[in-house]
Amino acid sequence: MPSPSRDSSATQTNWDLIRDAASGSESARGSLDAVTKRAWPAVYAYIRASGRQSEEAAELTQGFMADVFLSRQLLGKADQSRGRFRTLLINSVRNYLADMHRRQTAGLRKPTGGITPLDQMRERGDEPVDTSEASPERAFNARYVAVLIRAASERLHAELASAGDLASWEIFQARVLRAAFDGNAPSYDEIGPRVGLDKGTCAARLLVAKRRFASILMEELRATIDNPADLQAEITELRALLSNG
Amino acid sequence: MYELEPDPNRQPSSDAHNTLGDTLSWAFELDNSPAIAGATWLTREIVPNARDPFDAILDAATTAKQLEELKTAYKMLRTTGATMPERNLAARLYAATIAAALVRHNTLITRQSDAALTRAFDELYADETIPERIRMLATLAADAPARRSNPRA
Repeated sequence: MPSPSRDSSATQTNWDLIRDAASGSESARGSLDAVTKRAWPAVYAYIRASGRQSEEAAELTQGFMADVFLSRQLLGKADQSRGRFRTLLINSVRNYLADMHRRQTAGLRKPTGGITPLDQMRERGDEPVDTSEASPERAFNARYVAVLIRAASERLHAELASAGDLASWEIFQARVLRAAFDGNAPSYDEIGPRVGLDKGTCAARLLVAKRRFASILMEELRATIDNPADLQAEITELRALLSNG
Repeated sequence: MYELEPDPNRQPSSDAHNTLGDTLSWAFELDNSPAIAGATWLTREIVPNARDPFDAILDAATTAKQLEELKTAYKMLRTTGATMPERNLAARLYAATIAAALVRHNTLITRQSDAALTRAFDELYADETIPERIRMLATLAADAPARRSNPRA
Protein backbone atom coordinates (compact mmCIF):
# COMPACT_ATOMS: atom_id res chain seq x y z
CA MET A 1 0.00 0.00 0.00
CA PRO A 2 1.52 3.39 -0.99
CA SER A 3 2.54 5.77 1.77
CA PRO A 4 -0.10 8.40 2.55
CA SER A 5 2.51 11.07 1.99
CA ARG A 6 3.45 9.83 -1.46
CA ASP A 7 2.96 12.13 -4.46
CA SER A 8 0.29 10.62 -6.69
CA SER A 9 2.51 11.00 -9.73
CA ALA A 10 5.02 8.61 -8.15
CA THR A 11 2.53 5.73 -8.14
CA GLN A 12 2.11 5.91 -11.89
CA THR A 13 4.24 3.98 -14.29
CA ASN A 14 6.80 5.90 -16.28
CA TRP A 15 4.59 5.50 -19.36
CA ASP A 16 1.68 7.13 -17.56
CA LEU A 17 3.89 10.05 -16.62
CA ILE A 18 5.29 10.45 -20.14
CA ARG A 19 1.85 10.46 -21.73
CA ASP A 20 0.62 12.96 -19.17
CA ALA A 21 3.73 15.12 -19.58
CA ALA A 22 3.00 15.51 -23.28
CA SER A 23 -0.74 15.92 -22.88
CA GLY A 24 -0.82 19.58 -21.95
CA SER A 25 -3.01 18.76 -18.96
CA GLU A 26 -2.84 20.60 -15.64
CA SER A 27 -0.67 17.86 -14.21
CA ALA A 28 1.69 17.77 -17.20
CA ARG A 29 4.36 19.87 -15.54
CA GLY A 30 4.39 17.70 -12.43
CA SER A 31 4.56 14.56 -14.54
CA LEU A 32 7.41 15.97 -16.57
CA ASP A 33 9.35 16.81 -13.43
CA ALA A 34 8.69 13.35 -11.99
CA VAL A 35 9.84 11.42 -15.05
CA THR A 36 12.78 13.75 -15.55
CA LYS A 37 13.87 13.21 -11.97
CA ARG A 38 13.80 9.46 -12.52
CA ALA A 39 15.56 9.45 -15.86
CA TRP A 40 18.03 12.33 -15.72
CA PRO A 41 20.74 10.77 -13.51
CA ALA A 42 20.96 7.57 -15.53
CA VAL A 43 20.94 9.39 -18.87
CA TYR A 44 23.64 11.75 -17.67
CA ALA A 45 25.71 8.83 -16.36
CA TYR A 46 25.53 7.12 -19.74
CA ILE A 47 26.53 10.22 -21.67
CA ARG A 48 29.29 11.11 -19.22
CA ALA A 49 30.71 7.58 -19.35
CA SER A 50 30.72 7.73 -23.15
CA GLY A 51 33.64 10.16 -22.93
CA ARG A 52 32.06 13.60 -22.70
CA GLN A 53 33.20 16.17 -20.19
CA SER A 54 30.72 16.98 -17.44
CA GLU A 55 29.36 20.24 -18.85
CA GLU A 56 28.95 18.83 -22.34
CA ALA A 57 27.31 15.73 -20.87
CA ALA A 58 24.92 17.92 -18.91
CA GLU A 59 23.98 19.91 -22.01
CA LEU A 60 23.47 16.75 -24.04
CA THR A 61 21.32 15.32 -21.28
CA GLN A 62 19.19 18.44 -21.17
CA GLY A 63 18.85 18.26 -24.94
CA PHE A 64 17.93 14.60 -24.86
CA MET A 65 15.25 15.18 -22.25
CA ALA A 66 13.81 18.05 -24.27
CA ASP A 67 14.00 16.36 -27.66
CA VAL A 68 12.93 12.87 -26.64
CA PHE A 69 10.29 13.63 -24.05
CA LEU A 70 8.79 16.81 -25.37
CA SER A 71 9.00 16.06 -29.04
CA ARG A 72 6.78 13.03 -28.33
CA GLN A 73 9.30 10.55 -29.68
CA LEU A 74 9.04 8.48 -26.54
CA LEU A 75 5.30 8.96 -26.39
CA GLY A 76 5.03 7.56 -29.89
CA LYS A 77 6.77 4.42 -28.72
CA ALA A 78 4.99 4.28 -25.36
CA ASP A 79 2.72 1.33 -25.83
CA GLN A 80 2.34 -2.04 -24.19
CA SER A 81 4.76 -3.71 -26.56
CA ARG A 82 7.66 -1.53 -25.45
CA GLY A 83 7.77 -3.25 -22.06
CA ARG A 84 10.57 -1.94 -19.97
CA PHE A 85 11.23 1.74 -19.62
CA ARG A 86 14.88 1.21 -18.79
CA THR A 87 15.69 -0.63 -22.01
CA LEU A 88 13.80 1.86 -24.14
CA LEU A 89 15.53 4.74 -22.40
CA ILE A 90 19.04 3.38 -22.83
CA ASN A 91 18.38 2.57 -26.49
CA SER A 92 17.02 6.05 -27.03
CA VAL A 93 20.07 7.65 -25.45
CA ARG A 94 22.36 5.49 -27.56
CA ASN A 95 20.53 6.54 -30.72
CA TYR A 96 20.47 10.16 -29.62
CA LEU A 97 24.24 10.27 -29.20
CA ALA A 98 24.67 8.74 -32.64
CA ASP A 99 22.64 11.67 -33.99
CA MET A 100 24.21 14.34 -31.75
CA HIS A 101 25.86 16.30 -34.51
CA ARG A 102 22.50 17.37 -35.85
CA ARG A 103 21.32 18.33 -32.34
CA GLN A 104 24.51 20.25 -31.62
CA THR A 105 24.15 22.13 -34.86
CA ALA A 106 20.57 22.98 -34.06
CA GLY A 107 21.64 24.15 -30.61
CA LEU A 108 20.29 23.27 -27.22
CA ARG A 109 16.50 23.19 -27.20
CA LYS A 110 14.62 23.94 -24.12
CA PRO A 111 10.91 23.72 -23.53
CA THR A 112 8.91 26.73 -22.46
CA GLY A 113 9.54 27.06 -18.73
CA GLY A 114 12.67 24.93 -18.95
CA ILE A 115 13.54 21.55 -17.56
CA THR A 116 14.86 21.27 -14.06
CA PRO A 117 18.39 22.54 -14.46
CA LEU A 118 21.53 20.92 -13.20
CA ASP A 119 21.77 23.14 -10.14
CA GLN A 120 18.32 22.21 -8.94
CA MET A 121 19.18 18.56 -9.42
CA ARG A 122 22.23 19.08 -7.24
CA GLU A 123 20.15 20.76 -4.54
CA ARG A 124 17.82 17.77 -4.52
CA GLY A 125 20.71 15.37 -4.14
CA ASP A 126 20.41 13.99 -7.66
CA GLU A 127 23.71 15.55 -8.62
CA PRO A 128 25.54 13.68 -11.36
CA VAL A 129 28.26 11.33 -10.27
CA ASP A 130 31.50 11.11 -12.17
CA THR A 131 31.18 7.71 -13.85
CA SER A 132 33.73 8.35 -16.54
CA GLU A 133 35.62 5.15 -15.70
CA ALA A 134 32.64 2.83 -16.12
CA SER A 135 31.19 1.61 -19.41
CA PRO A 136 28.20 3.72 -20.51
CA GLU A 137 25.82 0.81 -20.00
CA ARG A 138 27.10 0.00 -16.53
CA ALA A 139 27.12 3.67 -15.59
CA PHE A 140 23.54 4.01 -16.79
CA ASN A 141 22.31 0.93 -14.96
CA ALA A 142 24.14 1.74 -11.73
CA ARG A 143 22.67 5.23 -11.69
CA TYR A 144 19.25 3.91 -12.69
CA VAL A 145 19.22 1.55 -9.73
CA ALA A 146 20.57 4.25 -7.43
CA VAL A 147 17.61 6.45 -8.32
CA LEU A 148 15.21 3.61 -7.54
CA ILE A 149 16.91 2.97 -4.22
CA ARG A 150 16.83 6.66 -3.37
CA ALA A 151 13.12 6.87 -4.18
CA ALA A 152 12.39 3.78 -2.08
CA SER A 153 14.50 5.13 0.78
CA GLU A 154 12.68 8.45 0.75
CA ARG A 155 9.34 6.67 0.93
CA LEU A 156 10.54 4.47 3.79
CA HIS A 157 11.81 7.52 5.63
CA ALA A 158 8.46 9.26 5.21
CA GLU A 159 6.57 6.21 6.46
CA LEU A 160 8.75 5.73 9.50
CA ALA A 161 8.66 9.44 10.31
CA SER A 162 4.90 9.42 10.00
CA ALA A 163 4.75 6.48 12.41
CA GLY A 164 7.03 8.25 14.89
CA ASP A 165 9.74 5.63 14.39
CA LEU A 166 12.80 7.62 13.41
CA ALA A 167 14.93 5.19 15.40
CA SER A 168 14.25 2.50 12.81
CA TRP A 169 15.10 4.95 10.02
CA GLU A 170 18.39 5.86 11.66
CA ILE A 171 19.29 2.18 12.06
CA PHE A 172 18.34 1.46 8.43
CA GLN A 173 20.21 4.47 7.13
CA ALA A 174 23.35 3.53 9.04
CA ARG A 175 23.38 -0.23 8.48
CA VAL A 176 22.07 -0.37 4.90
CA LEU A 177 22.37 2.91 3.03
CA ARG A 178 25.73 3.95 4.39
CA ALA A 179 27.00 0.40 3.89
CA ALA A 180 25.78 0.40 0.27
CA PHE A 181 26.99 3.84 -0.71
CA ASP A 182 29.95 4.47 1.60
CA GLY A 183 31.07 0.89 2.19
CA ASN A 184 31.03 1.59 5.90
CA ALA A 185 28.30 0.54 8.35
CA PRO A 186 28.39 1.72 11.98
CA SER A 187 28.10 -1.13 14.46
CA TYR A 188 25.12 -1.67 16.70
CA ASP A 189 27.35 -0.70 19.60
CA GLU A 190 27.61 2.76 18.03
CA ILE A 191 24.01 3.02 16.87
CA GLY A 192 22.27 1.59 19.94
CA PRO A 193 23.16 4.38 22.38
CA ARG A 194 22.23 7.03 19.78
CA VAL A 195 18.72 5.65 19.34
CA GLY A 196 18.34 4.41 22.89
CA LEU A 197 17.85 0.76 21.99
CA ASP A 198 19.72 -2.42 22.82
CA LYS A 199 21.41 -4.48 20.15
CA GLY A 200 18.76 -7.15 19.86
CA THR A 201 15.99 -4.62 19.40
CA CYS A 202 18.05 -2.65 16.86
CA ALA A 203 18.60 -5.77 14.79
CA ALA A 204 14.93 -6.77 14.94
CA ARG A 205 13.82 -3.25 13.95
CA LEU A 206 16.27 -3.31 11.05
CA LEU A 207 14.77 -6.57 9.77
CA VAL A 208 11.31 -4.99 9.71
CA ALA A 209 12.65 -1.85 7.99
CA LYS A 210 14.56 -3.82 5.38
CA ARG A 211 11.52 -5.87 4.52
CA ARG A 212 9.42 -2.77 4.10
CA PHE A 213 12.18 -1.23 2.00
CA ALA A 214 12.24 -4.32 -0.21
CA SER A 215 8.48 -4.07 -0.69
CA ILE A 216 8.70 -0.40 -1.62
CA LEU A 217 11.61 -1.04 -3.96
CA MET A 218 9.55 -3.65 -5.77
CA GLU A 219 6.77 -1.09 -6.20
CA GLU A 220 9.23 1.43 -7.61
CA LEU A 221 10.57 -1.18 -10.02
CA ARG A 222 7.08 -2.20 -11.10
CA ALA A 223 6.44 1.42 -12.03
CA THR A 224 9.16 1.17 -14.65
CA ILE A 225 7.49 -1.61 -16.61
CA ASP A 226 4.10 -1.90 -18.23
CA ASN A 227 3.79 -5.68 -18.30
CA PRO A 228 3.99 -7.33 -14.85
CA ALA A 229 5.30 -10.44 -16.55
CA ASP A 230 8.49 -8.49 -17.31
CA LEU A 231 9.26 -7.82 -13.65
CA GLN A 232 11.25 -10.94 -12.85
CA ALA A 233 13.25 -10.59 -16.05
CA GLU A 234 14.00 -6.97 -15.20
CA ILE A 235 15.20 -7.92 -11.71
CA THR A 236 17.37 -10.73 -13.07
CA GLU A 237 18.87 -8.50 -15.71
CA LEU A 238 19.61 -5.63 -13.34
CA ARG A 239 21.30 -7.93 -10.84
CA ALA A 240 23.41 -9.49 -13.59
CA LEU A 241 24.35 -6.13 -15.06
CA LEU A 242 25.42 -4.77 -11.68
CA SER A 243 27.35 -7.90 -10.77
CA ASN A 244 29.30 -8.30 -13.99
CA GLY A 245 30.59 -4.77 -14.35
CA MET B 1 11.24 -29.66 10.14
CA TYR B 2 14.22 -27.37 10.62
CA GLU B 3 17.47 -29.16 9.93
CA LEU B 4 20.74 -28.74 11.74
CA GLU B 5 22.72 -29.88 8.72
CA PRO B 6 24.81 -27.05 7.36
CA ASP B 7 23.97 -25.55 4.01
CA PRO B 8 27.24 -25.70 2.07
CA ASN B 9 26.08 -22.94 -0.25
CA ARG B 10 25.36 -20.44 2.46
CA GLN B 11 28.06 -18.38 4.09
CA PRO B 12 27.65 -15.86 6.86
CA SER B 13 27.63 -12.40 5.38
CA SER B 14 27.71 -8.94 6.75
CA ASP B 15 25.55 -6.10 5.54
CA ALA B 16 28.40 -3.81 6.48
CA HIS B 17 29.92 -4.50 3.05
CA ASN B 18 26.85 -4.34 0.81
CA THR B 19 27.43 -3.01 -2.66
CA LEU B 20 24.65 -1.35 -4.58
CA GLY B 21 23.98 -4.63 -6.35
CA ASP B 22 24.00 -6.53 -3.05
CA THR B 23 21.35 -4.22 -1.62
CA LEU B 24 19.14 -4.87 -4.63
CA SER B 25 19.80 -8.61 -4.43
CA TRP B 26 19.02 -8.72 -0.74
CA ALA B 27 15.78 -6.84 -1.27
CA PHE B 28 14.52 -9.35 -3.79
CA GLU B 29 15.80 -12.50 -2.10
CA LEU B 30 14.17 -11.64 1.20
CA ASP B 31 10.85 -11.37 -0.55
CA ASN B 32 10.92 -15.10 -1.28
CA SER B 33 12.63 -16.40 1.84
CA PRO B 34 11.44 -19.32 3.97
CA ALA B 35 10.45 -18.84 7.61
CA ILE B 36 13.90 -19.48 9.03
CA ALA B 37 15.63 -16.94 6.77
CA GLY B 38 14.55 -13.94 8.82
CA ALA B 39 15.61 -15.54 12.08
CA THR B 40 18.91 -16.56 10.52
CA TRP B 41 19.59 -13.06 9.28
CA LEU B 42 18.75 -11.69 12.72
CA THR B 43 21.01 -14.24 14.39
CA ARG B 44 23.98 -13.27 12.23
CA GLU B 45 23.55 -9.62 13.13
CA ILE B 46 24.40 -10.63 16.70
CA VAL B 47 26.55 -13.74 16.23
CA PRO B 48 28.22 -13.06 12.86
CA ASN B 49 29.69 -16.51 12.29
CA ALA B 50 26.54 -18.48 13.06
CA ARG B 51 25.19 -20.84 10.41
CA ASP B 52 21.66 -20.50 11.68
CA PRO B 53 19.76 -19.73 14.93
CA PHE B 54 20.14 -23.29 16.25
CA ASP B 55 23.87 -23.24 15.67
CA ALA B 56 24.20 -19.96 17.55
CA ILE B 57 22.15 -21.16 20.51
CA LEU B 58 24.00 -24.47 20.83
CA ASP B 59 27.50 -23.08 20.28
CA ALA B 60 29.51 -23.05 23.51
CA ALA B 61 31.28 -19.93 22.27
CA THR B 62 28.06 -17.89 22.31
CA THR B 63 28.26 -15.75 25.42
CA ALA B 64 25.51 -15.07 27.92
CA LYS B 65 25.39 -11.48 26.64
CA GLN B 66 24.90 -12.68 23.09
CA LEU B 67 22.18 -15.08 24.22
CA GLU B 68 20.43 -12.19 25.90
CA GLU B 69 20.71 -10.08 22.75
CA LEU B 70 19.37 -12.98 20.69
CA LYS B 71 16.54 -13.39 23.19
CA THR B 72 15.56 -9.74 22.74
CA ALA B 73 15.68 -10.01 18.97
CA TYR B 74 13.59 -13.20 18.83
CA LYS B 75 11.14 -11.73 21.31
CA MET B 76 10.47 -8.88 18.92
CA LEU B 77 10.29 -11.24 15.95
CA ARG B 78 7.49 -13.11 17.73
CA THR B 79 5.23 -10.15 16.99
CA THR B 80 6.86 -8.53 13.94
CA GLY B 81 7.58 -11.66 11.93
CA ALA B 82 6.23 -11.61 8.39
CA THR B 83 4.43 -14.96 8.59
CA MET B 84 2.88 -17.22 11.23
CA PRO B 85 5.60 -19.88 10.81
CA GLU B 86 8.23 -17.21 11.35
CA ARG B 87 6.52 -15.86 14.46
CA ASN B 88 6.10 -19.37 15.87
CA LEU B 89 9.74 -20.17 15.22
CA ALA B 90 10.74 -16.94 16.94
CA ALA B 91 8.74 -17.97 20.01
CA ARG B 92 10.63 -21.26 20.19
CA LEU B 93 13.98 -19.57 19.68
CA TYR B 94 13.12 -17.09 22.40
CA ALA B 95 12.54 -19.94 24.84
CA ALA B 96 15.65 -21.75 23.61
CA THR B 97 17.93 -18.79 24.30
CA ILE B 98 16.66 -18.58 27.87
CA ALA B 99 17.18 -22.30 28.27
CA ALA B 100 20.70 -22.11 26.82
CA ALA B 101 21.68 -19.31 29.18
CA LEU B 102 20.44 -21.36 32.16
CA VAL B 103 22.15 -24.56 31.06
CA ARG B 104 25.50 -23.24 29.88
CA HIS B 105 25.97 -20.04 31.85
CA ASN B 106 23.80 -20.71 34.88
CA THR B 107 22.24 -17.33 34.21
CA LEU B 108 18.63 -16.28 34.12
CA ILE B 109 18.21 -13.74 31.32
CA THR B 110 14.51 -13.14 31.66
CA ARG B 111 12.09 -11.62 34.13
CA GLN B 112 9.31 -13.98 33.19
CA SER B 113 7.56 -15.81 35.98
CA ASP B 114 8.45 -19.40 36.67
CA ALA B 115 5.04 -20.53 35.47
CA ALA B 116 5.48 -18.72 32.16
CA LEU B 117 8.94 -20.22 31.73
CA THR B 118 7.62 -23.70 32.39
CA ARG B 119 4.98 -23.18 29.76
CA ALA B 120 7.50 -21.90 27.23
CA PHE B 121 9.88 -24.78 27.85
CA ASP B 122 7.07 -27.32 27.59
CA GLU B 123 6.00 -25.88 24.24
CA LEU B 124 9.57 -25.87 23.00
CA TYR B 125 10.07 -29.49 23.98
CA ALA B 126 6.80 -30.54 22.36
CA ASP B 127 7.49 -28.82 19.03
CA GLU B 128 8.82 -31.55 16.78
CA THR B 129 9.66 -29.10 14.00
CA ILE B 130 12.56 -27.90 16.16
CA PRO B 131 15.82 -29.89 16.13
CA GLU B 132 16.04 -32.34 19.01
CA ARG B 133 19.22 -30.90 20.51
CA ILE B 134 17.46 -27.58 20.88
CA ARG B 135 14.40 -29.20 22.40
CA MET B 136 16.58 -31.04 24.92
CA LEU B 137 17.71 -27.67 26.24
CA ALA B 138 14.21 -27.23 27.59
CA THR B 139 14.52 -30.42 29.65
CA LEU B 140 17.94 -29.51 30.97
CA ALA B 141 16.85 -25.98 31.81
CA ALA B 142 13.93 -27.21 33.90
CA ASP B 143 16.19 -28.07 36.85
CA ALA B 144 18.83 -25.40 36.37
CA PRO B 145 20.00 -23.95 39.71
CA ALA B 146 19.72 -20.38 38.45
CA ARG B 147 16.08 -20.95 37.72
CA ARG B 148 15.42 -21.97 41.30
CA SER B 149 16.63 -18.57 42.42
CA ASN B 150 14.14 -16.80 40.14
CA PRO B 151 12.50 -14.11 42.30
CA ARG B 152 9.32 -14.63 40.30
CA ALA B 153 9.17 -18.37 41.01
